[in-house]
Amino acid sequence: MIYELFLILPMMLIVLGALMLMLLSHREAPLNRNMLSVLILALAFGLTLSRLGEAHSVFVFEAIFGRSFIVDSFSTLFDLMILGGAMLTLLINHDYFKSRHYFDGDFFALVLFAVFGMMALSHAHELISAFISLEIASLSIYALVGYNSDNPKSREAMMKYVVLGSLAGALFMLGLALIYGATGSTELGAIAAHIAAHPQDAHTMLIIGGFFVMVTLFFKIGAVPFHAWVVDVYHGAPLPVTMLMASTFKIALFAVILRIYLGDFAALGDFWSLPLQILCVLTLIGGSFLALSQSNIKRMLAGSSVVHAGYMLIALNAITLGNFNASESILFYLMSYFISSVGAFGILSFLAAHEHKQLTFEDFKGFGYSHPYLAAMMSIFMLSLAGFPSTIGFLGKFYIFTGAIEAGQIALAALGIFVAFVSIFYYFRLIATMYFYDTPKTEQHFGFDTTTVLILLMAILSIWGGIGTALLPYLPTPDALIELSRHAITSLD
Amino acid sequence: MSPLHFLLLGTLLFGIGLVGVIARRNLFVVYMSIELMLSAVNLLLATFSRIRGDEGGAVLSLLLIAVIAAEAAIFLAMIIALFRAKRSIDAHDFTQLSQEHNA
Repeated sequence: MIYELFLILPMMLIVLGALMLMLLSHREAPLNRNMLSVLILALAFGLTLSRLGEAHSVFVFEAIFGRSFIVDSFSTLFDLMILGGAMLTLLINHDYFKSRHYFDGDFFALVLFAVFGMMALSHAHELISAFISLEIASLSIYALVGYNSDNPKSREAMMKYVVLGSLAGALFMLGLALIYGATGSTELGAIAAHIAAHPQDAHTMLIIGGFFVMVTLFFKIGAVPFHAWVVDVYHGAPLPVTMLMASTFKIALFAVILRIYLGDFAALGDFWSLPLQILCVLTLIGGSFLALSQSNIKRMLAGSSVVHAGYMLIALNAITLGNFNASESILFYLMSYFISSVGAFGILSFLAAHEHKQLTFEDFKGFGYSHPYLAAMMSIFMLSLAGFPSTIGFLGKFYIFTGAIEAGQIALAALGIFVAFVSIFYYFRLIATMYFYDTPKTEQHFGFDTTTVLILLMAILSIWGGIGTALLPYLPTPDALIELSRHAITSLD
Repeated sequence: MSPLHFLLLGTLLFGIGLVGVIARRNLFVVYMSIELMLSAVNLLLATFSRIRGDEGGAVLSLLLIAVIAAEAAIFLAMIIALFRAKRSIDAHDFTQLSQEHNA
């Protein structure tokens, strides 16, 4: 009992912290709410970190909740990624929060509620608890997207996200009802047992239900045919919220996708493979077109996040074909994408906080001369996102493509590599704009504060993740990250 | 009536809701269509629970009603915020971001 309470303590801390921030939200106290929420997240992070590497798999309060919540090494690793991601997102936006008046206590309370929903999502071992966690996270993010309600863009983004998100939620519920009708349970273990006990061709209703559940999850990660909202919502949302959606929320969604694919629907892999391949091809090509046509950097990064989801779908497809090693490559890719995209968005947020620009490609003309250090770091992030060797993004793509080739998906891997070449065009376009134009502006002083130090940290991490294996002894290396992911995946079987 | 009739009714309601979301521009009607879809799913759950002779499904639909209520709260709040800004809840009046894309 006490041990189980200890296991869910990080999640409880987040909820209590969110409630506390709500209570404090209208107090005129000289209180840095951003730092307070970072402190709460850091406490939860520390508690979770202390359990990393322990092999355990416990259903929390099985007598009360049944087998709906699980704590295992897999969820521990995902908790760490989600908490660390939220923490870095809040810290890197330190300047941005100070420059805008509308970030009050409610904002940070909503962020913490969203983080709680994401953590619960990685713990869900049942479709109902997965749906409720997904809704906790989504509803908080709906409110966060429209948080600056004076801004018409923010309102419009919220409208699009809420309407389409609710539609996707209804499809999830339909899928859940069909799965319940087919198997008599919504618990992942029971569904897997049902699949094993019955012949392959008796699963029509289950497969249709599973298909609807998958549509919802793919909608949330922004895979093409379900991507109509991505660019507009990412553009209209306040920058910190865009970062949270693009990186941290995606991590949580892949947690539940991996749990469903590796646990419950693994036996139906033959069926999933074809729709997934079609989805991969559409996502890679459609996402590239989206990213190519944008003139605003925020929209370009949003479009490219669709392409990055496509790369991870390649690995997911390799998993359904039986190459379970590919799941580690998804985890590693999530981390590498997180580091590079948070860094890039961090620079945008730094500029938006200090110069109040629209952040189009035009605004970056001569950026290399007015902000030489920031421009160098932006180049690192762009190289990493494009998958240039010696950055962490290269290793991430390397593992994904080798996983796909091991699973026999040569064509898909080739398409992925081709799309990576195309992505060089829109990433390098930014680098070229920064360095190939003169600027009348003089060089700006590079000041050290929370935001710039964190951007620097992200840049160092991108490089270190790519080459730093032997340079820094006693520090964990990318191989250690892969090892960690492998350990976490084994707890799913 | 056999439970199968209820399955048919649930599917029909879900379809009507889906058409409403796709075809209507008034956000309030869109909201009601989504609610219709969600209620149709609850009907399906209750029917499956009856067919299988298992109370679990009915309990699930109760749980889901709570989630639907939370979603309704945020949807209605959003409609009010949009109406205050533009005195309109026609989805086509909010197209600033999509126009930027075409420009």
